[in-house]
Amino acid sequence: MTTTLNPETPVARPAVAPRSARSRRLRRLWRDTGWRHLVGIAVVIYAIFPILYVLSAAFNPNGTLTGSNALFSEVGFDSFARILNNPDQPFAAWFANTVIIGGVTALLTVFLGAMAAYAFSRMRFSGRRMGLLTLLLVQMFPQLLAVVAIFLLMSSIGDIFPALGLNTKTGLIMVYMGGALGVNTYLMYGFFNTIPVSIDEAAKIDGAGHTRIFFTIILRLVLPILVVVGLLAFITSTNEYVIASVMLTDPENKTLAVGLYQLVSNPRYADWSAFSAGAVMSALPVVIIFVALQKYIVGGLTAGSVK
Amino acid sequence: MLVKPQRFIALGAIATSAALLLSACSGGGTDDKKDDSASSLTVWVDAERIDALKAAAADYTTESGVKVNLVSKDVSTTKDDFLQQAPTGKGPDIIMGAHDWAGELVTNGVISPIELGDKAADFSDVALRAATYEGKVYQLPYAVENIAILRNTALAAETTPATWDDMIAAGKAAGTKYPFVVEQKADGDPYHLAPFAASFGASIFGVDADGGYDPNNLILGDAEGVAFAQWLSKVGAEGIISPEIDGDIAKQAFLDGESPYWLTGPWNVSAATDAGITVAVDPIPSAGGQPANPFAGVKGFYINSESKNAVAANDFLVNYLGTNEVQKELAAVGSVLPALTEAATEAGADPIIAGFTAAGKNAIPMPAVPAMGAVWQYWGIAETEILNGSEPVARWAKLASDVQAAIDADKK
Amino acid sequence: MNTHQPDTEHPDSAAASAPEPERKKSVQLRRMAEQAGGGIGPLILKIVLLGLFDALGVFAVLLIVQAQNWFMLVVVAAIIVFFNWVYLRPGATPAKYLAPGFAFLIIFQLFVVVYTGYIGFTNYGTGHNGSKDQAISSLLASGQERVEDSASYPVTVLQQGDTLGLLVTEADGTVKYGDAEHPLDEVNDAEMDGDTATGRPGFDTLTFADILTVQDTLTELAVPLSDDPNDGSLRTSDGRQAFVYVSNLVYDEEADTLTNTETGVVYTASAEGTFQSENGKNLYPGWNVTVGFDNFAKAIGEESIRGPLLSVTVWTFVFAVISVATTFFLGLFMAIVFNNDRMRGRKMYRALVILPYAFPAFLSAMIWAGLLSKSYGFINQVLFFGAEIPWLTDPMLAKFSVLAVNLWLGFPYMFLVTMGALQSIPDELQEAATVDGARPWQIFRLIKLPLLLVSVTPLLIASFAFNFNNFNIIYMLTGGGPRFEDADANIGATDILISMVYKVAFTGQTRDYGLASVFSILIFIIVTIVTVISFKRTKALEDIN
Repeated sequence: MTTTLNPETPVARPAVAPRSARSRRLRRLWRDTGWRHLVGIAVVIYAIFPILYVLSAAFNPNGTLTGSNALFSEVGFDSFARILNNPDQPFAAWFANTVIIGGVTALLTVFLGAMAAYAFSRMRFSGRRMGLLTLLLVQMFPQLLAVVAIFLLMSSIGDIFPALGLNTKTGLIMVYMGGALGVNTYLMYGFFNTIPVSIDEAAKIDGAGHTRIFFTIILRLVLPILVVVGLLAFITSTNEYVIASVMLTDPENKTLAVGLYQLVSNPRYADWSAFSAGAVMSALPVVIIFVALQKYIVGGLTAGSVK
Repeated sequence: MLVKPQRFIALGAIATSAALLLSACSGGGTDDKKDDSASSLTVWVDAERIDALKAAAADYTTESGVKVNLVSKDVSTTKDDFLQQAPTGKGPDIIMGAHDWAGELVTNGVISPIELGDKAADFSDVALRAATYEGKVYQLPYAVENIAILRNTALAAETTPATWDDMIAAGKAAGTKYPFVVEQKADGDPYHLAPFAASFGASIFGVDADGGYDPNNLILGDAEGVAFAQWLSKVGAEGIISPEIDGDIAKQAFLDGESPYWLTGPWNVSAATDAGITVAVDPIPSAGGQPANPFAGVKGFYINSESKNAVAANDFLVNYLGTNEVQKELAAVGSVLPALTEAATEAGADPIIAGFTAAGKNAIPMPAVPAMGAVWQYWGIAETEILNGSEPVARWAKLASDVQAAIDADKK
Repeated sequence: MNTHQPDTEHPDSAAASAPEPERKKSVQLRRMAEQAGGGIGPLILKIVLLGLFDALGVFAVLLIVQAQNWFMLVVVAAIIVFFNWVYLRPGATPAKYLAPGFAFLIIFQLFVVVYTGYIGFTNYGTGHNGSKDQAISSLLASGQERVEDSASYPVTVLQQGDTLGLLVTEADGTVKYGDAEHPLDEVNDAEMDGDTATGRPGFDTLTFADILTVQDTLTELAVPLSDDPNDGSLRTSDGRQAFVYVSNLVYDEEADTLTNTETGVVYTASAEGTFQSENGKNLYPGWNVTVGFDNFAKAIGEESIRGPLLSVTVWTFVFAVISVATTFFLGLFMAIVFNNDRMRGRKMYRALVILPYAFPAFLSAMIWAGLLSKSYGFINQVLFFGAEIPWLTDPMLAKFSVLAVNLWLGFPYMFLVTMGALQSIPDELQEAATVDGARPWQIFRLIKLPLLLVSVTPLLIASFAFNFNNFNIIYMLTGGGPRFEDADANIGATDILISMVYKVAFTGQTRDYGLASVFSILIFIIVTIVTVISFKRTKALEDIN
């Protein structure tokens, strides 16, 4: 694990300031950001030390996952080569499928969810409270038998529209869209409620219709939450296993979660190091997207414009 | 910094539509090519055996014109997925599975009998017995598996001693961290302990006239069973067999040279040889005086009773996968013992396969009755608790009554 | 989604106490509002999109008519009409925004709920897995008994018109032909290839490829050996070899009975979905039938869950509440800790903290199980210097471990959510409060937290429901164990309701989907009651802003 030493740490500076001033500055620094680093490091350790096992297994050409506590006893790239070059496990295709399915699901989820949240937040209509409650309650139904139901539904849809049925990305995305509302809508709804209505009114006075207010004003102001919801939807759909495993059976159609799980589904034959190498690579899109979008979450228009 | 949200949103919209288009196209593309189902077979295969079957499937396609579409499936969900999908008519034509699935599959009416005809005589006894459920053959056997002692020849040059005590003594003499390892898990692994139970004469069911298990004759709780339970309590207290040693720990210990002996199956041989260990395969030592016979497991293929390609499926299994040439080829790729006698004899030239065959000489197939699922579960938990220090005699008696109740519930 | 009030009325909740925006900001917002006036572009876009949708819809309808699936036709037609109605008529603005999302919700989520409810009234499960026709054909197939010691016959499949027949060469060289209507009879006009008959004038000889096109007919074909049905009939499963079978079971369609011809026992189709003999013996497979409230009676009368029910229910609530609380507060805390512009490296911290969420959960659970292993796990071996702490096998510690692992799995989600939600709290509030001399903790507790709770409370309720049914973490980490020693079923200290139900409905190789769905419904009722009560109480929260 790497942590950057704060270059502003006073120890690293020549002690030119008088003693009392220096200790005061130290105290201020500690109260300002020092403790944050300490907490940050502690939580980062908690967050990543189980993942070190995955890394260690990925770099150990024929290792087990938890069989040994001697991490990184051997380092090599065999398992990466193994998972990338096996024609029966088209890792690149899985990767592309995952990114496409996750990406489309995320974008559509954000769009559908934001529309619903806008309606719930800005309009009053009969059935509004009922609608909100329905969204919440549907999420609570135990999904023990969901796979059976979805398989039946998708197989009969596929009978008529093969391009939307089993074994298609479009079909799977449609199933994921079933969950586009729900929790995400609530998250956006809460955020929308914090945007002053005076803004809408001003626009309305200027003759803007609801569509225009929604697309050109509201969506701009709630950008941070749109990014958060998009990210959540992306992660959820890329990690989803149960439905994807039943819907996608052809090797070249699988997502990473399904394909990788099958590498280790039979513990007797499990190739943990190849699996771990795959898992490490499959976590990359999430991390990259998060890093790329972070500034939109924390430095959105609202925060940026006041500075 | 000021974000330019308009561009951001426009980009999002473009990306969405492009991606939708892309996915729609690729979705349509994959469907076109597999529509001519009149001459294609869909076969669900364990992910780790699909390689071995690839060549055979391609050859069959050349020979017969029937396209074989191999789908690699997660072995732990194959059976449930098949049970759900078969009645809809959407299931695969053929699935690969263990012989002890037969009871559940037949009870649900999702597989059809297979007529081996005169070929039946070519299969080894154990394979044929495993493939038969209630007097009918439902499975085309492909490979026979059992566990044996894997020995690290660098740590123990001599053949594994014939009794447990001698083996442990030899293991301790080797000076390694563990004298012997066998995998267990938190809720038990009776499969790996069954040979020791057998060496006490203990078993779940009595054996019927044909040499198969008789599910109506539960003998789990007899005196032999109790003797085994007491032995288990002893080795548990000594820490030689521990529920804490799971598959990963046992494997890593052997690979790191921390144990000379490892009770495991042929599936782990390549891991050991890949790690540079020279291994020999020996019969399992007896703990209770009688031969320590492991369970035999037979992998094979079942035909979906709703298959629209029943003729092609039967032809592929019986007239192709059931031939010596193909089974030899499969054995060579997957290093398994073929179910056909002739192919098995030839494969037996390999010392590793010969070692497993010798250890499983008198192996009996695991019972296939539907109640077995419950039996395994109770059995495993009881063994784990005894290893962890439960009073063996009373715990074993409770196990016998739990299992009897499970079997009775099943008969209702 | 019906509407009678178009968007003229303003949401009072949002308007009530909106903070007075800063001058500069209000100027900017006004500019945005000005840009938002009028325009023909959106209208064109709307028409194009709706046109596209209708075109696809018409195409879909044509396909459905072709497939003659009338139920689906009604559903699809209704969707098309509804969308056109919503988007073409003026007003009904909320419906315009809600329709797409709710369409998916209804098709893919409500369907699951309705289907599960329906299953609860059937006996779907092991032994009752398919339809009655499937059960009958499966029983008849396994009732085919090969005549002992009978020879196998090499056969050639011939076709005349629509009739398939088998041309048989017996061991002594005699050639016979027969079809379903006509028993095997010697023929003299066969075309021979060596000793084997390969065809007959007036008949088409089917190659293997031809046979594949008539597989269904061929597998049904039974050619009687003679006029006496007891002699059996020839059947082939691969078109190359045929064997003599006699049928043990005969189906009588009129009486709806199966008769065993050997023993004479008659099995009558019963209301439970099996063929049943007079003394109560069932033939399996059966088929699924609706059984009314039987499954509810079974669920309520289930003996094996009586003992542990109370402690499992209590633990389920404890688990769900603590999981929500810990993940939320750790996530929120981290969001606040890293929400400081002067903190160096905060972007990297954030990316690292998100990692547990980026890896597949089943993998993480397996690793944690390994880490927590009593004798060999990293935690005991390295952090506790070899102490054998039974993290997963002691009832109390196992509960603690499950919560700790669930915290690890769940806090990045809450971190992300609160990170986003914190953005809705204007910085001015904090600055104003700081000027007034409020301490950071007071600012947080009195200003930030209440505002934050407005947007995340529904999320916390949803998270509660998710954890209430969080089968995966329990199943993967402890399997519900350690087991209660006195329980009949394999139920243990960390089992929550959903995992207990799973064990009861799916024991060993028996799958009782009917029972499982009834349990699902019962659990849903419990969660719903809890949710509706807490949702009612959030009404106050909702209007704070």
